[in-house]
Amino acid sequence: MKIKVCGLRDKSNIKELMALPLDYVGFIFYSKSARYVGDDFDAEITKMIPLHIRKVGVFVNEAAEKILTLAKKYQLDVIQLHGDESPEDCQQIKDSGIEVFKAFQLNEDFQFERLEAYHKACDYFLFDTKSDSYGGSGEKFNWEILKKYKGETPFFLSGGIGIDDVEAVKAFQHSKLFGLDVNSGFERSPAVKNVVLVEEFLKSVRKKKMSNNKYAVNERGYYGQFGGAYIPELLRANVDELRENYLKIINSEKFQKDYKRLLDTYVGRPTPLTKVANLSKRFGTNIYLKREDLTHTGAHKINNTVGQILIAKYMGKTRIIAETGAGQHGVATATVCALFGLECIVYMGALDIERQAPNVARMKMLGAKVVPAISGNQTLKDATNEAIRDWIANPHSFYLIGSVVGPHPYPDMVTRLQSIISKEIREQLTKETGNPNPNYVIACVGGGSNAAGAFYHYLDEEDVKLVAVEASGLGVNSGETAATITIGDIGFIHGSKTMLMHDEDGQITEPYSISAGLDYPGVGPLHAHLAETGRAQFLSVTDQEALDAAMVLAQSEGIIPALESAHALAALEQMTFRKDDVVVVNLSGRGDKDMETYMKEINNL
Amino acid sequence: MNRIDQLFQNKGKDILSIYFPAGYPNLNDTVPNLKLLQDKGVDLVEIGIPFSDPLADGPVIQIAAKKSLDQGMSLKLLFEQLKDVRKTITMPLILMGYWNVVFKYGVDAFLLDCQTCGIDGVILADLPLEEYEEEFKAKFEAHGVYNILLVTPQTTDQRMAKIEKSAKGFLYMVSSSATTGGALEQSAEREEYFKKVARLDIPSLIGFGIHDKKSFQHASSFSNGAIIGTAFIKALNSGTASEFLDSLL
Repeated sequence: MKIKVCGLRDKSNIKELMALPLDYVGFIFYSKSARYVGDDFDAEITKMIPLHIRKVGVFVNEAAEKILTLAKKYQLDVIQLHGDESPEDCQQIKDSGIEVFKAFQLNEDFQFERLEAYHKACDYFLFDTKSDSYGGSGEKFNWEILKKYKGETPFFLSGGIGIDDVEAVKAFQHSKLFGLDVNSGFERSPAVKNVVLVEEFLKSVRKKKMSNNKYAVNERGYYGQFGGAYIPELLRANVDELRENYLKIINSEKFQKDYKRLLDTYVGRPTPLTKVANLSKRFGTNIYLKREDLTHTGAHKINNTVGQILIAKYMGKTRIIAETGAGQHGVATATVCALFGLECIVYMGALDIERQAPNVARMKMLGAKVVPAISGNQTLKDATNEAIRDWIANPHSFYLIGSVVGPHPYPDMVTRLQSIISKEIREQLTKETGNPNPNYVIACVGGGSNAAGAFYHYLDEEDVKLVAVEASGLGVNSGETAATITIGDIGFIHGSKTMLMHDEDGQITEPYSISAGLDYPGVGPLHAHLAETGRAQFLSVTDQEALDAAMVLAQSEGIIPALESAHALAALEQMTFRKDDVVVVNLSGRGDKDMETYMKEINNL
Repeated sequence: MNRIDQLFQNKGKDILSIYFPAGYPNLNDTVPNLKLLQDKGVDLVEIGIPFSDPLADGPVIQIAAKKSLDQGMSLKLLFEQLKDVRKTITMPLILMGYWNVVFKYGVDAFLLDCQTCGIDGVILADLPLEEYEEEFKAKFEAHGVYNILLVTPQTTDQRMAKIEKSAKGFLYMVSSSATTGGALEQSAEREEYFKKVARLDIPSLIGFGIHDKKSFQHASSFSNGAIIGTAFIKALNSGTASEFLDSLL
């Protein structure tokens, strides 16, 4: 829920407010308003506002030329039009590259059809109480009227909202509600806000967001209908022990301190957010790469293994079991086991052992025992089965899962440990563009851990489009694919209810992708939920498209991506962007481990 | 009365249960295997529904299940094979498998087919007790199909009480922390666990690691009987199933 505080003017009051986590602040450029900023409003005041707080200028029936001049002078990010402006007037402002909010005054007779002409020309609507003047009345309207609003444009709720409305706000549900606009309800005198009250309001309203998070796991491990812990009784005690401990450990001060220290000094975080100029030019937009390829061991996997090895250590475990597909998770696990002096057994499909030889050598050098899984297709799925069997036989071991799959609490635990990715993206984008939210976050999905990490802090930020990219192998309908969401349906694998590729008898299908890290027949339950609710868009990319995208990145930016990440990059070709869009691609790993495949597949190497 | 209850009422001791995968060693061997087992005096049979990813099974059962699948076995075909089974087989019959196969088949259709064929109970290795109780228990009971539950040495007393309350027929007492097919070693700790389960208000059979007459008798001394899977499959593989059963009884 975004919060906009409107009607500011007083310099020292603004300074105090800036310490609060506000999203928008509004300045009224309408001379008849009691909160009019005045003809001599000092531009230095708006300059002191941190970039991540968006500055809104409020105008009533003003000439576009004057609006744009003032927008420039006061560095306004948004123009809010509060008068009788037509859709064309709104469009004119929007065409200059500034965001447009159009305010409408509502009562029982409001004709919502009127809004249709405005959808394209406005970024957000603001619904206020009907009054005789153009300004706000300080009165609330009946929010039930908004049930009639079926449009696509998200809106701010405005009109007399005060500290006493916290419960009403929490109770009000509308899929397009984007934010709250507050003003006179928090004032000591016109244009002077009561900072303590605003702070209290922010805290109360945002608490709701934490508890009502639509995409958070529940206590039984479900994301919507997906997740759970569908495990044999033989594993129950092991899984219960972990479930009862993981949150206590992760939330402890000691863990947070140890984890942060390892991330900073061993993993190499924060990883850079690189704006890639040539790629940006190619797609006519602003493309940033989150450089997980620059972590120790060369992929995001290490964020998770560092976290889980600490959890294992706190739980007193000394023997670590892992499974691996591409070998990145195996290497990351072997690495942290070496660091902590723990026994490490890594199960890996016999076929993967063959095609990921450098990673196998790395794991062995790090002291891990690599055990080939010789059942099934001899890939990740089969390695996972073997690892689970080992855990059944050795209940005192710690099973260190490498993705957001498996029985609860693994999907949640791994998501939390990978969420460092989106946390850093937010901080870095705020510095870079003034806004923590990009327009798009794009990530590849096999099991889905790098995507879960890149999406995590944006799950409730509905203005950020989440794009998950699956591997379609030789094509989604070729029979040689790993595009689970695209061709799968509801099923159960490795302890989770999720989307799954299986035949009509419920036998799990062998997936295929050129990328060993993506050929998994299931997907994490969080992703199944994001797909079902439409929160994330799922695209799929073929082997060839991924190879092509890898070449483009290598030769235009000097970065050789992992084959997994190349899938995320290839999705850019399927999308269209506006020139001012901010697009973040999670570059989950580097391509060294895939050189053999690249050499075989790319003719001119 | 459910045939499982009848069995435990009539014969409280030394109950021998045998497991084999449907359609194994050859696709149409399901019913002939049942006839052999009944003729040899086996008390109870668990027919495995082959699954591509059997998490709780050891390599022998996994390889057998794969062969059976490769030969064209499916749950649908299994029910066709069992259509007339009650004309010749009077032993209680249990189907044992994994939840994904049943879910995909459709839980209602599965239970109806179980009832039609005269299946007395099922063991669904990865269907959690909580999900069963909340969503499916009423349906199972309406079709008279028992959901046989497992306990393991790691099962806490608290959970044991929950399982005891929900269980029907008998408890499948897993002998040790391992997948199927391991050896059963004797230990004081294990015997304590056996005795604890035996004190419960429901019969129990010990499974995992039972492979010959000696281990069968040892296990049976702590419970109502035992279950043999891997060792029987090995006997099927070597064509000595009949002799193996003779050696047990």
